[in-house]
Amino acid sequence: MPRNFSGAVGFDVSVEADSDAQMMLKVAAGDRRAFAILFDRYHTSVARFAFRFVGDRERAEELTQDIFVKLYRNAKSYRPAAKFKTFLFRVAANHCLNEVRRGEYRVAHTTTSEREEEEGGGVELAGPEGERPDQALAAREMERAVGEALKAMSERERAAFTMCRFEGMAYREIAEALEASEAAVKSLIHRATLAVAKKLEELQAGPVPVRSRA
Amino acid sequence: MSCGYEEELTAYVDEELPPARRAEVEAHLGGCSGCRGTEALLRRTMEQLAGLPEFSPSPDTRREVLAKVEALPLPLRERLLALLRPAVLVPAASLAAAAGLALYATAPSEPDLDVLDAGTLELAMNLEVVEDYDVVGLDRSEDLEVVAHLHELEEVQ
Ligand SMILES: [Zn+2]
Repeated sequence: MPRNFSGAVGFDVSVEADSDAQMMLKVAAGDRRAFAILFDRYHTSVARFAFRFVGDRERAEELTQDIFVKLYRNAKSYRPAAKFKTFLFRVAANHCLNEVRRGEYRVAHTTTSEREEEEGGGVELAGPEGERPDQALAAREMERAVGEALKAMSERERAAFTMCRFEGMAYREIAEALEASEAAVKSLIHRATLAVAKKLEELQAGPVPVRSRA
Repeated sequence: MSCGYEEELTAYVDEELPPARRAEVEAHLGGCSGCRGTEALLRRTMEQLAGLPEFSPSPDTRREVLAKVEALPLPLRERLLALLRPAVLVPAASLAAAAGLALYATAPSEPDLDVLDAGTLELAMNLEVVEDYDVVGLDRSEDLEVVAHLHELEEVQ
């Protein structure tokens, strides 16, 4: 499987897709219970997206809150013909891109990794249960390398990459969420994936000297 | 990196290329070691990404979001429907008092919640006669839309 679905919840997609749309219609009518159900289904996805986008846990939590309040307020603009997750990520991507542009959320991937390291690391990011210390260290180093690559790329590359690699969204859905063409998304994801690939290569080649693959 | 196929490789690995293009790339990979190297690098990267630590959001987020949403006013239509349900019918005297209040208390921009609720009561009592909605302090376009379709609301109950 080409993409990372590590966070996907194990439910039947066809049934779920249907009831997402129905829930959203209820939310549009002010049903807060329906809203809570949608929140429970998707808040991990949104928080993960926001975290990868800003690279900071607290900011990601704030953004996640804002995104869901926005979702509630804009529920009326949802049309059941559209897939709910795509609609949600359109709200999420718009919000994150706008916040970063307004300068409120500086991307902080490196500082977060450094802080985690100082604190003894890894508490915020749960690794697989029962992993050995060397595995945990490797995972943290990889996390840092990916964070650096994400920080260095453009915001749209970062958004497209995150939706693709961490949410398993199709290019067509990402294009809808970013209001871009599929061809543009294809190129964003390609550049971003190559950038991450090169960072991970550097990590494996050792710290110095930094060798270029190209 | 001068190979024209290099740009296609991520979409190829993601299985996002249309069948004809996919076949072309496959054929090209057989004869281009540069692209084969890049393809292997991309596949390796995607595997590694799957092994990244999972991000788990704080459980506080849920409570805070639900509280924020709870603090938002319900859409007018829902408030009207709630009022029209027999279980929440208010004694006639307080209805009249609320209606009286509604006639005088009009908020020009963002209506105060209590005032708007009083206006809602007034609407609920006089569904067919409310035409001058300025009287009850409604100014949001979605509220006006509800007022314009009051007859539908009556059919719902
Ligand atoms: Zn080639």
